[in-house]
Amino acid sequence: MALKAFTQEWLDAFLKVIQDSQEYKEIAKEWEGSVSIIVNPDPSKGVPEPIYMWTDYWHGEAKDFHYCDKAEAETAKFVMSGDYSRWKQVVKKELDPTKALMQGKLKLKGDLTYVVKNVKTVNKVVDLLTTIGTIFPDD
Amino acid sequence: MFKGYAGQFLRVDLTAGTCENFTIDERILRKFIGGSSLAAKLLIDSYPLDADPLAPESPLMVMTGPMVGSGFSGTSRFAVCAKSPQTGIWGEAACGGTFGPEMKRAGYDGIVITGKSPKPVILSLTDGTAKLVDASDLWGKDVYEVTDMLKAPDKSIKVLAIGPAGENLVKFSAIGNDKGHFIGRTGLGAVMGSKKLKAIIAKGSKSIEKADDARYKELAKAAIQEIKDSALAGSLHAMGTDAAMDPGMCNADVPVKNWSVGEDFNLSTNLGGPAMSEKYLTKAGACSNCSLACKRVVVVKEGPYQIEEGPGPEYETCGSFGTMIMNPDLTAVIKANELCNRYGMDTISCGAVIALAMELYEKGTVSKEEMDGMDLTWGNMEAVMPLIKKIAYREGFGDVLAEGSLKAARKIGKNAVDSVVHVKGLDLPMHDPRGFHGMGLAYMMSNRGACHNQHAVLATEQGMASWPQLFAMKDDYKGPSSDEKAVLVYNSENYGILANSLSICHFLVSTLQPETIRDAFNAITGFNLTFKDLLEAGMRDWTLKRGINNLMGVTSKDDVLPKRILTPLTEGAAAGSVPDMKRLLSEYYQIRGLDKRGFPKEEKLVELGLEELKARLYN
Repeated sequence: MALKAFTQEWLDAFLKVIQDSQEYKEIAKEWEGSVSIIVNPDPSKGVPEPIYMWTDYWHGEAKDFHYCDKAEAETAKFVMSGDYSRWKQVVKKELDPTKALMQGKLKLKGDLTYVVKNVKTVNKVVDLLTTIGTIFPDD
Repeated sequence: MFKGYAGQFLRVDLTAGTCENFTIDERILRKFIGGSSLAAKLLIDSYPLDADPLAPESPLMVMTGPMVGSGFSGTSRFAVCAKSPQTGIWGEAACGGTFGPEMKRAGYDGIVITGKSPKPVILSLTDGTAKLVDASDLWGKDVYEVTDMLKAPDKSIKVLAIGPAGENLVKFSAIGNDKGHFIGRTGLGAVMGSKKLKAIIAKGSKSIEKADDARYKELAKAAIQEIKDSALAGSLHAMGTDAAMDPGMCNADVPVKNWSVGEDFNLSTNLGGPAMSEKYLTKAGACSNCSLACKRVVVVKEGPYQIEEGPGPEYETCGSFGTMIMNPDLTAVIKANELCNRYGMDTISCGAVIALAMELYEKGTVSKEEMDGMDLTWGNMEAVMPLIKKIAYREGFGDVLAEGSLKAARKIGKNAVDSVVHVKGLDLPMHDPRGFHGMGLAYMMSNRGACHNQHAVLATEQGMASWPQLFAMKDDYKGPSSDEKAVLVYNSENYGILANSLSICHFLVSTLQPETIRDAFNAITGFNLTFKDLLEAGMRDWTLKRGINNLMGVTSKDDVLPKRILTPLTEGAAAGSVPDMKRLLSEYYQIRGLDKRGFPKEEKLVELGLEELKARLYN
């Protein structure tokens, strides 16, 4: 069943695909820390307000994915932000988020060296993210 | 004279012992700008193309561009160009560092050196004057030693020098600038060595005039902010170019075991940028006036491969002396890098020829006895360290390898050539075309042979840069696919080439918006070129160098990928995938305006204002 993008239900599904992945548990056993996702608003695409989402990972486990406010989002170990249309491309597997970061289409706050060291974990999370059946507000 | 240029070039005849200043017509500068583009123009206009690369009449050219030494981040580059002793065709290499800006301050945009000195000399450049100085006492010194000796009287002197490998005409010998920056590819150190030119030193006090100084300063400031905001620049600053190792292993960019294995994460974890930063990095280094600071300064305090604080390896070296030869020890890579720096050798080709030797040893093609008793099993760094020295000094089996992979394999025989991974005699850099098919096409069509720096394909195909304002681009290209790659390569060449003619850093090209580069170029020169003009300059550069190569014997038969790259890997992200060479070439030839022989068509030459080349090619 497809879920509305960037809702709590969608976040729950995101959490579940990660928790269900044995491959993720193995690859991500070194990862420690939270990642917040900020979707910049685009009223013309049905996103009138910014969306702040909190995701947390610890040694192969995905722990706590929830909506949050701006202040909480900015306390995450990594903060990834970008326009709605870019996040939509990422979820639809049309844009690799690492490439998007390099091209300035997404922004990252946090230790780049840690991300590169754990690039397999990052890639796996993105792979799993793109398996969620998603309905977008402008579809 | 347009602004930005020092306004003067130097012609040196080492046989006669003379130095003569000359100027270049502004119309030529506007068309060819500088760097290796201008060098190609000088070569075809005035020098024989059929001479042996190591013959006195073959020129060695050291070139800068109008932005060099201007205080703008990433403009410390300079190019050295000559007919390559490694490949026998057009050769060029560029690096950052300190020499280019100092050469400009000393009053020279470029130097053309011919002849052969009867005894070792250095060329000294100071504020518009040049002189040759006896260097008999310096011959035999390594790059670090000679650099220290030449800087001893005045640390502000900038040095460009060869080591023993260049003196011994090793076909992939390099030229070092102040220890940490190298003119690495195509063996140009041997050209210097053949001329008995040990070093060029520069010290100057001239400033560079700008057409619009205020605008230039404004753009230089904006560039610093763009670099600060860029994730690519941040990654390069934090981890150096070796930031590419860990992601590269995931997407099949990194060659393993002489290009025969698809992935090995143990190697990348041990050799990657994070490992270097955590264990051995003491600080980030920078070329002159660069705020990006991607260079590595490292120290190894323990173990068999200790080095004092000094220049660390780039990604390419971590590939060539790491993954390529199955060595997981980063300290050994750091040591091998230092040895190559000291002897003056290209780390890519040196690592590649050692990988070849290891494969031939494993296959039994070459015996232990033929290898002077060395045990060249994969990853045996105890054997690699002395082998590096044997290559530099052409001792024993090292003399065979000093000819470079292709010539060494031909000498060895017994199908050894099948294990050489090269295009036009130049070993592939550490990016696997099976993971990125566009890179395969770029290797086939690069004018110096397999090359990752004569274009911007690495940046565009891997998604590090996107310039929709210059040409139609997708947001995300699938690496192991040949779809839409010919046009991507063509466009990425035309823009990326500008790094080599403007003499600016490729990382600057990838990081900054094209508008910033165009506007800065115009603010310093007053040329007022449009994107169309600049891309046309890129096309002109490519076509001129291709024509030179055609005159040196290159045809469509040379535009091929090696057998190893056309053999699919069985594991990793590119498993089962090889570039569709026939399709890529067919599409590319059409876009680039090449005929079936691989020659630029007459109408293309006229369109680009290369009528003299047309006359040479078609008469």
